[in-house]
Amino acid sequence: MIRAARGRVVVAMSGGVDSSVAAALLARGGWEVVGVTMRNFCYGDLPAGSGASCCSLEAIEDARRVADAIGFPHYVLDFEEDFGRAVVDDFVREYAAGRTPNPCVRCNRLVRFPRLFSRARALGADRLATGHYARLGRDVGGRPTLLRGADRAKDQSYYLWGLTPRVLERTLFPIGHLTKSQVRAAAAEIGLEVAEKPESQEVCFVPDGDLRGFLQREVSARGLSADALAKFRPGPAVDAAGHELGTHPGSGWLTVGQRRGVGLALGEPRYVIELRQPNTAVLGTREDLAAGGCDLHEVNWTAGAPPAAELDAEVQVRHRAEPVEARVEPVSSTAARIRFGRPVTAVAPGQSAAIYRGDELLGGGVIRRALPRSDGAREPVGV
Amino acid sequence: MDRIYLDHNATTPLAPEAARAMLPWLTERFGNPSSVHGAGREARAAVEEARRAVADLVGASPDEIVFTAGGTESDNLALHGTVRRAAARGKGTLVISAIEHPAVLRAAEGLEREGIRVVRLGVDADGVVDPAELERTLAEHSAGLVSIMAANNETGSLQPVADLAAVCRRAAVPFHTDAVQAAGRVPLAFDAWGFDLLSVSAHKFHGPKGAGALAVRRGFRIAPQLVGGRQEKGRRAGTENVPAIVGMGAAARLALADLGTEAARLGALKRRLWEGIAAAIPGAHLNGALDRTLPSTLNVSFEGVDGEALILGLDLEGICVSSASACSSGAVEPSHVLIAMGRGFDLARSSVRISLGRGNDAAQVERLLEVLPGVVERIRAMAAVPS
Repeated sequence: MIRAARGRVVVAMSGGVDSSVAAALLARGGWEVVGVTMRNFCYGDLPAGSGASCCSLEAIEDARRVADAIGFPHYVLDFEEDFGRAVVDDFVREYAAGRTPNPCVRCNRLVRFPRLFSRARALGADRLATGHYARLGRDVGGRPTLLRGADRAKDQSYYLWGLTPRVLERTLFPIGHLTKSQVRAAAAEIGLEVAEKPESQEVCFVPDGDLRGFLQREVSARGLSADALAKFRPGPAVDAAGHELGTHPGSGWLTVGQRRGVGLALGEPRYVIELRQPNTAVLGTREDLAAGGCDLHEVNWTAGAPPAAELDAEVQVRHRAEPVEARVEPVSSTAARIRFGRPVTAVAPGQSAAIYRGDELLGGGVIRRALPRSDGAREPVGV
Repeated sequence: MDRIYLDHNATTPLAPEAARAMLPWLTERFGNPSSVHGAGREARAAVEEARRAVADLVGASPDEIVFTAGGTESDNLALHGTVRRAAARGKGTLVISAIEHPAVLRAAEGLEREGIRVVRLGVDADGVVDPAELERTLAEHSAGLVSIMAANNETGSLQPVADLAAVCRRAAVPFHTDAVQAAGRVPLAFDAWGFDLLSVSAHKFHGPKGAGALAVRRGFRIAPQLVGGRQEKGRRAGTENVPAIVGMGAAARLALADLGTEAARLGALKRRLWEGIAAAIPGAHLNGALDRTLPSTLNVSFEGVDGEALILGLDLEGICVSSASACSSGAVEPSHVLIAMGRGFDLARSSVRISLGRGNDAAQVERLLEVLPGVVERIRAMAAVPS
C-alpha cells in the first residue's frame, strides 16, 4: 500500500455508478481511498434481487467489486442501531402523527454525514466523500459553501441542508461538477462494471416499495398509542366548511397535496389540503391547497449560524419542486418563518424546505405547518 | 508495506509441506479411493496415510477418523448424528456451553425447534465451563449428548475437556468436543480422555480449506447426514476430497512434530504482546486468563474503543486482526462469548482478537506494539467529540 500524496479519504459507496465514479476519481487524483458501505437495516430476510436499496447485500457486493477492481480497501459499517433510532423510528412516528417525513434528509443530517465523518477521523482520514450531485465552494471569508450540482436535473443539494460547517470543511463531492452522462462516460472509460440501475425513488428501508405494509407492521410492532393507531383506520373526509364528504382510508396513509388514493369519487379533482386530529382529512380544490408560507423547525444553516436579519432567498419544498422566491425570517437559531412570493401548493408538514440563494444552499428545516395565503383564504394547515 | 497476519484463529496459511504433498493429487494422480484398480488403490493408500496422521494429532486410532469437508460439517454430523436418535430413546436433552462456535450453536437451535431441550452452560469470568455444573445438569436432565468446545475461537479459553468427559462417562452420556481451535495447538488425547466425538478442521493448522474430520469412538454409532455410497464406512457418503485430505495429513504430521516448541514460542510472544499493551495503553482489559487460554490467542478489550474501528484502523496499517465472528456482510456484532463471560455490552463491542501462528516473530509483535497505541488514541479522540 502506498501512502498517497493527498492523504486518506473515506468514500461512502452505495454500489451505484455515482459513488463508484467518485471513488475512482479520487483514487486517480492521488488520494488514498478507503471505501465504506453503510449497513443501515437488517436485509437478512429479503430475497436476493429484491431491490435497488442502498445497503442490500447486492449493493455491498457491488461496492466491494469496484473497490477490488480499482485496488483500495472496502469495509461495511454497521449503523443499524443509529439508523433505526434516528430514521426508521422517526419515520413511523411521523406518519402516525399525520405528517410526511423525509428519511433521506434525516439520514444525511443525523446518521450518514456525522457518523461517517467521525468514523473517517477515527480511521485517520482527512476527508469524507460521497457521490452526491452537489458542489462545494468558498465564500469571501474562506468559509465552505454548499452549491447545487452542476447537472440541475440531478442536483441533490436539497437533501443536504442539514450539513454543518464542521462537516462541510472536510467533505468532498467528486462528481458534483459533472453531469450524469459525464459520470456514465467516466465509468465506461475507467472500466467500472457498475450495473445500470433504475434510479431508486422509494424509501431504502422499504425495498419492496410496500409502504403501507411496512407501516402496518411497524405501527403495531411499536405499540404506538391508540390515537396513532386510529390514524391507520378509516376516518371522515370533510370539505373546508366541515361538511362530511365520505370516508377516507386513514390519515396515516395520506399526505397533504395527495389527489389519488383518497377513496372517494367526487366528480371533480379533490386534494388532501389538511389532516386534522384525530383522523379527519380535509379535501379541497387545487386552489385550496396553496399556502402563503410555512414555519420551519429543526432549522440548520450551512454557515453554522442563522443570518442576522431577514433575507430574500429562494425556497424549495420538495426535491423536484421549482424554487420559489421567498422572504425568510430566522425566528430562533433552529426556527424560521417563510413567506412565499407566490402561493405554493402541497406544503406538507414533515417535509423539508431548503433555502437557496442562486446556486448556494443556505440551509433548511422541517416544515412544521403551512401558513395561509396573505389574502386570508383559509386557516393555517398542519398540526 | 508488508502485511502482518495475526488472525490464525480465522485461518492459517497452507504449509509448504502440505502444498507439496497435495500437488500430485491435483495433477497426475487422480484415482477414486473406492476403485479397485491401481489408480484407486494408490488414492486409497494416500487417504489412509492421512487418516493415520490425523488420528495421531488428536490421540485416536485411524479407524476412528471420519473425513468431512470441514469443522462445521463435523460439528453438524456430531450433533445431528446423535441427538435425534438419543431423543427417540428418551434422552431428549442436549447440553452445550454458551460460548460454542456458531456451527454448534445454530445446529443446537435447529434441534431445539424440533423439540429437543437445549441446556446452555455458562462460563466464569475467564470463559471457562465448570465441570461441577455439568455434573449437576446431568443429574437433573436425561441428556443424549454433551457438546463443549476444547478451546474457544474468540478468546482461546481452554475448557477442562478431560474432566468434562469424565463427568459424562460417569453419567453415561456421550461427549463431543469441537476441537477446531485446539487441534495442532495443544495436546489432545481422544482415546485416553474417553471422548466419544471430536471435530477438527485442516485449515486451522496450516492444512487446506475444505477438509476436516470427526473422530468417532470405536463402537459409537452416529447416523450419517450425507447418504449415498459407502465411503468412510458408511458414516459420510461422497467421493473423498483426496488432495485436501492428503494436505490435511501432511499438515497434521507437521503440527504434531512442532506442538511443544511452537506452543512455547507463541506463548512467549503472546505474553510479550500483552505486557506491551498493558504498559502502553490505559484501559486495556484481558479477556480470558493468560494461562487458561491457547498459547497463541490474545483477546483484549479497549475502553471507549469501537472494536470494528480498531480492526479497520489496523488493517489500513497492514495488520490483520479480528473481532467476534463476522456476519455474512462483514459487519461486526457484539460477541456472545464476551457477554457470556460477564463483560458489559461496551467492552464486548470493544474487543480485538490477536491470534498468532507459525509465520509470526518477535519483530511483528513489536511492530503491532508500535502502531496500536496511536490507532487506539485516534479512535478515542474521535469518540470523545460529539458529532
